Amino acid sequence: MSKKLVLKDINKNFGSLIAVKDVNLTVDPGEFVCFLGPSGCGKTTLLRIITGFEKQSSGTLMYDNQDISDIIPQKRNFGIVFQSYALFPNMTVAENIAFGLKMRKAPKNLIEDRVEEMLNLMGLTEWKTHYPAQLSGGQQQRVALGRAIAIKPKVLLLDEPLSALDAKIRVRLRVVIKKLQKDLGITMIYVTHDQEEALSMADRVVIMENGDIKQVGTPWDIYRKPQSRFVAEFVGTSNFITGTHQNNTLKLGENQLKIDGINGSKNNKINVAIRPEKIELLTDEEITKDFEPSNLVKVEIEVVTFLGAVVQLTFNIDGTEINVDVIEKRYEELGLTRGDSVNLYFPPDSFHVFAANM
Amino acid sequence: METTANTAKTLEQYKVPASRMEFDKFIVPSVTICIGGLLLFFMIFPLLTILQLSFFEGGKVGFSTFTLVNFYKYFTTAYTVNALWHSLYISIMTTIIVTIVTFFFAYALTRTTIRFKGAYRNIIMMPLIAPSIMQALALIYLFGRNGLITSHLFETDWNIYGSVGIIVSEVLYCLPHSFVILFTTLSAVDIRLDEAAESLGASPFKTFMKITLPSAKYGILSAAALTFNLTITDFGNPVVIGGNYNVLATEIYSQVTNLYRFDLGATIAIILLVPSLMAFMLNYYISRKTFSMISGAAQPFIPPSRTLKKICFSTYNIIICLSIIIVFATVIIGSFVKTWPYDWSLTLDHYTFPSIGGYSAIWTSVWISLMVGLIGSFLTLVASYVMETRRPFFKQTLYFLSVMPAAIPGLVMGLGFILAFNKPYYFFYGTPWIIIINIVVCNFTLGVLSSISNLRNIDSSIEEASMALGGDTIRTFFSIIFPLSRVAFFQNFIYFFMRSMTTISAVIFLVSASVHLAAIEIIMLDNDGWTASANAMCTIIILIVFAVLGVLHLINKKVAPEMQAVAASD
Repeated sequence: MSKKLVLKDINKNFGSLIAVKDVNLTVDPGEFVCFLGPSGCGKTTLLRIITGFEKQSSGTLMYDNQDISDIIPQKRNFGIVFQSYALFPNMTVAENIAFGLKMRKAPKNLIEDRVEEMLNLMGLTEWKTHYPAQLSGGQQQRVALGRAIAIKPKVLLLDEPLSALDAKIRVRLRVVIKKLQKDLGITMIYVTHDQEEALSMADRVVIMENGDIKQVGTPWDIYRKPQSRFVAEFVGTSNFITGTHQNNTLKLGENQLKIDGINGSKNNKINVAIRPEKIELLTDEEITKDFEPSNLVKVEIEVVTFLGAVVQLTFNIDGTEINVDVIEKRYEELGLTRGDSVNLYFPPDSFHVFAANM
Repeated sequence: METTANTAKTLEQYKVPASRMEFDKFIVPSVTICIGGLLLFFMIFPLLTILQLSFFEGGKVGFSTFTLVNFYKYFTTAYTVNALWHSLYISIMTTIIVTIVTFFFAYALTRTTIRFKGAYRNIIMMPLIAPSIMQALALIYLFGRNGLITSHLFETDWNIYGSVGIIVSEVLYCLPHSFVILFTTLSAVDIRLDEAAESLGASPFKTFMKITLPSAKYGILSAAALTFNLTITDFGNPVVIGGNYNVLATEIYSQVTNLYRFDLGATIAIILLVPSLMAFMLNYYISRKTFSMISGAAQPFIPPSRTLKKICFSTYNIIICLSIIIVFATVIIGSFVKTWPYDWSLTLDHYTFPSIGGYSAIWTSVWISLMVGLIGSFLTLVASYVMETRRPFFKQTLYFLSVMPAAIPGLVMGLGFILAFNKPYYFFYGTPWIIIINIVVCNFTLGVLSSISNLRNIDSSIEEASMALGGDTIRTFFSIIFPLSRVAFFQNFIYFFMRSMTTISAVIFLVSASVHLAAIEIIMLDNDGWTASANAMCTIIILIVFAVLGVLHLINKKVAPEMQAVAASD
């Protein structure tokens, strides 16, 4: 397969502001890639460089082994879906979908067939002659998708397409987009700041911060093996313990927690993260020999936050705030309340270890 | 799914034509150069010609011919120097009065809960549909030597000719212009600031002085600058009611038309240009600041006003509206009665125009104005689109050229036109086309500014969506941007049409033996003593503009439903 999209050493600055720095990425044909990051991280700028609306300050953009850096957006044949839908308000749904084909001087009957096909695909047949303003936000975004796909784009680029929609519709459209991508086998690049969206849809997630790519990997990898404090914090939530390690242990309150995966010289300052759901909550009876004694901490519950299926318990261990997620059922069985003392167990293999400056 | 694959396969044969995209590269630069070139040729060149004639002997540029003799002559002749002082006096007085009057008028509409706000708004806008000569005509009928009020009601010898007459008529003429700015300013300033001040214990007077006035200061300055500019450059009112009280605008005209002193006319034009340029710069500088003052959170809800406040402001607004209505009524009634104010029997006699132009002048005015409307609104939209969305290389230059006309008095531009284009090889000279070009150029600024603000309301992703789908500049413009700008296009059309029907100063030098214009006929008729017919001509212009406004309003309503949808989707 040669039709790869390759970004090589892409840099972009607006004056003194560095929006994108040294980005290297290869997107395989048929792949669904998400750019995920907080606002201002450069993900949209990167997308706009791929679309051709912005030109990179340096670096090469290749598609199918050709440098496309100087090709104007009209000739790139990339489909784009915008956050604001950007439908042409003066055209009907059908006319919107037909626009790209008309610009390609496709014959009338072909355009008509393709429009019908897109309307079917998007479930919009009955809205064919309506104007965008007469449709709901979700319907408008489906028109925008149909319009972008109608030209059979080489790559479909989506810029936060769901962020203007209600939560319920957002979840429904996620499924539509994911299914569409798999059925049609389109290469898709999807920009979002919503980690749930990225984790649930993408084949690969690209985490960005301050114009930099922080980590690239499958959603599972990203969540289970964050490579930096930023990723551990931005994707999901994490508890952080900072300190100087001694013999693979780190001090938390009275305890010397045993931590797997520490390497590097002694007495280095390190930063470890542990997901709230990885910390176990144990009754005295449940403690057996299998548990590492130094990783058991007895502490009082300080705050109880009810989140529905999950209950979040907050503890304060000698100044370090620790959150623990417990499923609601277990919380009910244990019959706990604020002020109760419980045993927390930190499994040595559940820590992610970073250098303190990461 | 199989059909999908098939159509998709066939689809791949169709690509965005490469030649079209090659051609597209030249569109924006060519349009930029074209519009910039037109403005250079039809604005800068005439202005340079004026400079040339005023600073160089015989208009020949050279070291030996450079001279300040024209300026020396101007400033040593008491009569002509007086014109400058007169102009400044009139303009400053008018500016002070108009700004205060319209401020409270706008205050009443934005900060109190008086009734009939829509009616007040419509009435204060009325002067826009009439030539800036109507006020003077009406005042003469009411307060002139044979005025209804002066000589018949009070039987006094006092009359309004001279400075008082000019100031009153300019005030009545400038009301809508100043009002629009102050109304927008006061609507935009957050009324909750006032409420917060009052809740903290400030008296209403203190709130007004410390909060309301300061927050509207840029709008007030901007309105004042505009009024000053309108007054100092106006020609119609002073020429009719000024009598022997000469101002710069009338002085230019008399130097050129009566004394054939083009060089002195050009010199006075330069002198007029200085204060009006300064007022324009001030306005330009301020209006940039005002935008940042407008808060998106401005709250439209106005707490109910006390009864006394409502009575005061209603009375105030009614008085101002009544004066405007009286002006209109006087001119219209005056055109239908036999001999104002002696014989009130109705007649259509005044509508058989005794001048050369007569009815043909009206038709010429109408078709010229239609052309001005179409050309002006289209050109300004194209220019704005190119500047705003495509950001060409010379954007700043083009923008500067586009806003410059607002700084140049129409009379000066008109003088520049005859000086520059009075050559046999300028085929458009002496034809209606020179008038069309002149009016379009004179009003270019407002057309461009309103088109730009309209284009800024269109989501920039729409433009990008079109590009990504393969749309080139021309197709994007005609199939998306133009339809989306239809409402703004209509508004600009109305604006250009109105200006063209009512302008006097821009075209007074450009009418010729073969081309007559209705608005100029008013002056001719009045000059020749046919005052009632001048009123009749004025009435006809008002009726035509009013009728066109009505028709366009209806058309706009018909095509509007889909556009309303546009607004809703934003």
